[in-house]
Amino acid sequence: MKKRHEQKLVVLSIALFLIFNVPFILVFNFEGAVFGVPTLYFSIFSIWLLSIVISYIVLKRHYE
Amino acid sequence: MNNYTLVAIIIIYLAVLFYIAFLAEKKRQSKWVNNPYVYTLSLAVYCSAWTYYGSVGIAANSGINFLPIYLGPVIAAPLWIVVLRKIIRISKQHKISSIADFISLRYGNNRFLGALVTIVCLFGTLPYISLQLKAVSETFEIMSDDTSYISTTVIDDSTFYVALLLAIFATFFGTQNADASEKHKGIIASVAFESVLKLVFFLIIGAYVTFYLFDGTTDIYNQISITENFKELTTLSGVEDGFNWLFLIGLSFMAIFLLPRQFQVSVLENNREKHLKKAIWLFPLYLLLFNIFVIFIAWAGKLTFGSTENAEYYSLLLPLENGNSFLATLVFLGGFSAVISMVIVSTLALSTMVSNNLIIPYGFLDKFIKNQPERNSKYIKSIRRISIFTIIITAYFFYVSFSKELSLYSIGLISFVIIAQLAPSFFIGLYWNRGSSKAAVAGIIVGFLIAVYTLVLPFTIQAYTGTDDFTQYGLLGVSELKPYALFGIDFLSPPAHAFFWSMTFNLMSYLVFSLISKGNYRERNYAEMFVDSKNFSTLQDSALVWKGEAYVSDIKSVLVRFLGEKRATRALTIFFTKYKLPQDTQLADARLINFSEKLLTGSIGSASAKILIASVVKEEQISLVEVLKILEESKENIVSNKVLLEKSKELSQLSSKLKDANEELISKDKQKDEFLDTVAHELKTPITGIRAATELLMDEDDDMPKEIKAQFLKNILQDSDRLGRLIHNILDFEKLETGRLNLDMQYHDIQKTITKAISSISQIAAKKDVKIINKNLHVFSTNYDEDRILQVLTNLLSNAIKFCEPNTGEIIIDYKLGNEMVEISVTDNGKGIPVEDHDFIFDKFYQSQDQNTRKPQGSGLGLAITKQIVDKHNGKIWAKKGLKNGATLVFTIPFK
Repeated sequence: MKKRHEQKLVVLSIALFLIFNVPFILVFNFEGAVFGVPTLYFSIFSIWLLSIVISYIVLKRHYE
Repeated sequence: MNNYTLVAIIIIYLAVLFYIAFLAEKKRQSKWVNNPYVYTLSLAVYCSAWTYYGSVGIAANSGINFLPIYLGPVIAAPLWIVVLRKIIRISKQHKISSIADFISLRYGNNRFLGALVTIVCLFGTLPYISLQLKAVSETFEIMSDDTSYISTTVIDDSTFYVALLLAIFATFFGTQNADASEKHKGIIASVAFESVLKLVFFLIIGAYVTFYLFDGTTDIYNQISITENFKELTTLSGVEDGFNWLFLIGLSFMAIFLLPRQFQVSVLENNREKHLKKAIWLFPLYLLLFNIFVIFIAWAGKLTFGSTENAEYYSLLLPLENGNSFLATLVFLGGFSAVISMVIVSTLALSTMVSNNLIIPYGFLDKFIKNQPERNSKYIKSIRRISIFTIIITAYFFYVSFSKELSLYSIGLISFVIIAQLAPSFFIGLYWNRGSSKAAVAGIIVGFLIAVYTLVLPFTIQAYTGTDDFTQYGLLGVSELKPYALFGIDFLSPPAHAFFWSMTFNLMSYLVFSLISKGNYRERNYAEMFVDSKNFSTLQDSALVWKGEAYVSDIKSVLVRFLGEKRATRALTIFFTKYKLPQDTQLADARLINFSEKLLTGSIGSASAKILIASVVKEEQISLVEVLKILEESKENIVSNKVLLEKSKELSQLSSKLKDANEELISKDKQKDEFLDTVAHELKTPITGIRAATELLMDEDDDMPKEIKAQFLKNILQDSDRLGRLIHNILDFEKLETGRLNLDMQYHDIQKTITKAISSISQIAAKKDVKIINKNLHVFSTNYDEDRILQVLTNLLSNAIKFCEPNTGEIIIDYKLGNEMVEISVTDNGKGIPVEDHDFIFDKFYQSQDQNTRKPQGSGLGLAITKQIVDKHNGKIWAKKGLKNGATLVFTIPFK
């Protein structure tokens, strides 16, 4: 795997760290629910899933 | 459910696990054991009973705080491609068998550090194992009918027997080989199997609760959202809560690398690096699936039972409440799986550490040196087996004395905080070559003490004295020393608080001590190997700097004690062959020292290996400066080797290019020679004719008839014309071929050019009575050199006329437009071009076979010149193939 593509994953990790912590996390910190899932949980799970998809794509394309 | 039925189920289940582990050991090379999915599932040993039961408890009681334990690993997973891969490479290279080995090796094979790490891991893992036993015991109680039953002695406590069974399992599959760096495929396969079970059963119960007992997620939400304090369960209560959240994420981020069981499965049991490719995205997905139903089970339980007293076991209580004991059994088995895999992998990892980093280097080494090899490996195995039993039984007593009062969640976090003390020396040591062993020791001790003070001591004192004075008023009544609010920082939860203080002091001690005290040369040597692992892996055994006097026979005798005569001899043979040394080498060098240390590391740990080897060799002290210099030199050697290799590649490329060029030149030269030969020959023919005619005219001056004389003179004239034409053509051709000709590109009408060509040649055609038909009369203008194209056309036309029969000859000249080019064709109804000539008619001086019999009619350069001109216009010229009679020559001129 080329360094550039490895760094994509590193940046993903940094982005996750930022978005899962204060103050970013407070953006989703309000009452309410989507399909019965409270907003905060729903946002965290969505970001979680998104990160899985991104890592999957990066690795699928660039892992040698 | 009947107690005996439950015990029977447990025993059958354990038997199944035994069988799976046994199969996997037997088919070690099979695809079923070595694949990325098994690797990823084995990583899921992270989800223990804590996840399985504890998360629900937290979700019901305090809300969102169960999530950060999984968000840390989710953040860490993408980093694995860089960090975990580096750790795996280093571990493989040095045959590392535990995290204690890893850290102590990084700091110069420091024996004390290895022992310290082992102790920290023990303190961190024992409560964790006791947590698992607690879960087994409590779920067992819930499952059995006899709810009033409380075990009073060890003998009739079923948990004790479960613990013993687990110890037997771990012993059986964990200590088959004296070399702990060997893979434990049986255990890993059973862990993977259990990971599938626990996830599937948890999802089943989640779906059952959400969609069967309740009417989907929205239903649960609508019912729970009107209860009291609901807001606290779904949101963070502000920035202070945000800090708790941040520290918990940090904690779990470290834990996913540092927990002995995670290190065991992710690093030591890793077969192939490429398995990371799947694990990096699949493992977070596993965690996500595990967490989706947690809140709904928690809320459903809260709605059903009202109180949150037994919230941790809602997933069991809910199906039992609804009379579904089958489902409850499944859930119980899932939780049991989570427990088994965690306990077994943890004890396996810990027992290796205890034997290799604690017991062997601090007591058994001398004994080993005297012993026979068979007995040594037996000893090592027994030490590990005893360790496994001791660990599990200690955990059991920890559970009996403490864990009953504590929740799963709080025990788990205590473990995490203690294990996290390894983080600075582990992570920073990977990337910073100055981190020194003294600093690592200082950092770990300081951090560990603070963690004990702020987290372990309070509940221990409370358990013994029964009062919470210590937490309320602090040590000796000093309020700054309150264990849950050191120096007045009281807004953090106890684990986050402990983590914050211990980590701060740990980190600072590590950094400061690293800079104040310089490590010795050996330490720096290993530091360079770890930090710059990419470069040093190419150095292999030469990466260790060593100087002194050592004999191969002494080292061999040490190796023989642990590996046996056969393996030791084989290893040395391999070593000598690899480095191209004679098999009877007597003096050992640095490479052999390093090689033997690595060989022993798997069996007795890196610290003991170093001590053993050091005991039979005489090492000279080297200064740090010297070590660095030697390392630098060997690194430079690698670099310059690389440069040399590249240079030589370049050179070989260059030489092959030169060779090609040379060959081309030779062939050009040959062509030139041939050309000159042909030219000379061609020039000689008319000159011979002229000379002969002139001689005749001179010799027989008087009696030659006038007509004959005139005939001779005519011949001379013809031949000199031919000569002139030939010379003109040669010059022309030469000009074209050497590229000295510049085209005079102008905008012309192709139709006009064709008409010009026809009119210039019409006299010759008329002489032979050949008709020339200009077929396409449309005007089309493009850029070309008119004189040259005229030359091409006349050439083709005169050729056509030449080959036409007199009187009946007919020539058609036509043009068509194609893709960005105009295609002009000249067709005659003459005798056509023989098939065998098609490929050669455009070669210079090529004359068709049958022409040799007659006097050649052209210079032999006409078509060659034509081709050159067309080529110059970037066009193409060819003769149409497959015509029945006559010939068609076509050329193109491209336009834009």
